[in-house]
Amino acid sequence: MTHGTRSASDWRAAATFIGPALVALALVAVLPTVWAIVSSLFDWHFHRPHLRTFVWFDNYRRLFGDSRFLNAAWITFIYTSVSVMATMVLGTMLALLTKAPFPGKSVVRALLTIPMIMTPVVSTLVWKTFFFEADVGLVNWLLSLVGVDGPAWVARSPSALFTILVVNIWFMTPFVYLVMDAALDGFPQEVLDAAHIDGANYWQRVHHVILPMLRATIVFTVIFRITIDARMFEIIHVMTGGGPARDTEVLTLWVYNAALRNFHLGYGNAGGVVLMVAVGLLCFAIMLVGLRGIYQRTGTS
Amino acid sequence: MSPLGRRRALEALRLVVIALAVVIAVLPLAWVVLASFKGPADVSQMPPRLLFTPTLDNYNRVLDAGFFAFFRNSVVITVAAVALSVALGVPAAYGFSRLRVRGARGLLLFVLAVRFVPYIVFAVPLFVIMVRLGLVGTHVGLTVVYILVNLPLVVWLMKSFFDDVPTDIDDAAAVDGANRVQSFAYIVLPSALAGVACVTILSFIFTWNEYLLALVLSGRAAQTLPVVLTRFLGGMEDPVRWGLLSASSVVVLAPVVLVTLLVHRYVRAGFGGRPS
Repeated sequence: MTHGTRSASDWRAAATFIGPALVALALVAVLPTVWAIVSSLFDWHFHRPHLRTFVWFDNYRRLFGDSRFLNAAWITFIYTSVSVMATMVLGTMLALLTKAPFPGKSVVRALLTIPMIMTPVVSTLVWKTFFFEADVGLVNWLLSLVGVDGPAWVARSPSALFTILVVNIWFMTPFVYLVMDAALDGFPQEVLDAAHIDGANYWQRVHHVILPMLRATIVFTVIFRITIDARMFEIIHVMTGGGPARDTEVLTLWVYNAALRNFHLGYGNAGGVVLMVAVGLLCFAIMLVGLRGIYQRTGTS
Repeated sequence: MSPLGRRRALEALRLVVIALAVVIAVLPLAWVVLASFKGPADVSQMPPRLLFTPTLDNYNRVLDAGFFAFFRNSVVITVAAVALSVALGVPAAYGFSRLRVRGARGLLLFVLAVRFVPYIVFAVPLFVIMVRLGLVGTHVGLTVVYILVNLPLVVWLMKSFFDDVPTDIDDAAAVDGANRVQSFAYIVLPSALAGVACVTILSFIFTWNEYLLALVLSGRAAQTLPVVLTRFLGGMEDPVRWGLLSASSVVVLAPVVLVTLLVHRYVRAGFGGRPS
């Protein structure tokens, strides 16, 4: 391993195999990110580039006094936390429910993944047009069967937020289900059987045996889910457009409006940088707390 | 209730809950497929009409609306983007799996981090840069940008597939005088073809469905299907448009749904599942 020639050839091989991918990512990912951060320090309107001025952190200072931005941050927080929690619970429950064999299991597994692979724009249009429609939508028809007069879901608050949450939860539960299902498949059956013989009932087994074994998977899935929901755009853009008023305007939509509708590039990007940093810090914290103790015990791999 | 009866009741309850989950998962797809064959009189009826005279009118009007040009945009961009990401990502994954180079772990985490950045952070600068380069509204522009979406996925998944291929066969190839490139191309890659199928399919789904970057960067000439679909949002009070929307939705969904159902085991493998 420590032979000079070996490591030199490994370096050359690394440049051949890994180099092109890294160059590509540098161009399409690193360059725009750096550009976004630098531009956030400028007062910069897309159509008035000659008036561009360096303003240090003024954009950030403005953000935290901007009620529309703070509202978007709050909506993003609510949207992400409700959706992540709901999908984690529902997806894990589904995986546990489908663990024991039953007829048609592989077909059921395939069908349960459909929401995740359907084009989100299409799914949202279907939910909006056919299910949440006020007069002839499925949801209000079902409600009318039990004598409830359903609201104009998408056009009113707080039901508008509810509709985008429902679509997001429906869309992302299969992801959690697939990951948990695969993780459960990897468990040795003996562990579960041993707990069974000890007289533990089902919930005790889930709580004391299965969930602790799933911990690392749960932590990584939560992180992955947060990053997806915190940047969700299409479901909200198509369903409500951020409305009514700005009651469903999440940060991604705020940046889109500020930078690409109103063309305040510097100010909009400052909001995007805040979102990126907040999500990064949150995920890092969750990883530190969630994985504490796991890798010390088993040794780092 | 006897213990046996109780167990049977619980098992029945379990199957009912699973069936309910399947219904909820499949309902939007089933609904839009049915609606696409309904005439204006049937499509907005409540309770929903399950028995109706099917019509192909909606599909004919989708064809008349020039939908094919956008279908072509989506196909060209998706195929090119997936090919590019697989061509770049599979060798990189092999490198991360087999080569001992200092800093590789950090680089691997960097690749993963790209997947976690909110896409709007990339979208705004890419829009400004591509306006300057004249790439907004071109197939090339979107194809290159979709490296963002696919490459991290390809590298990470393929690395785990390569890790599963025993290094003994690399050693055997080296003894036989194969260099790194030959060992990769003729020995290791053929043992990981299931992984290539898996990353190709997942990249295909994510690219086909992508909306935000397409909305910002596709201009007029390179609009992909998800962007075009939202055009049907206007005038939604008209049931005729519901039919049009349904038929075009089915056209958009057909490729991803068919691929997923036909090769579900590869999709599942992408989430850590063993082929079943």
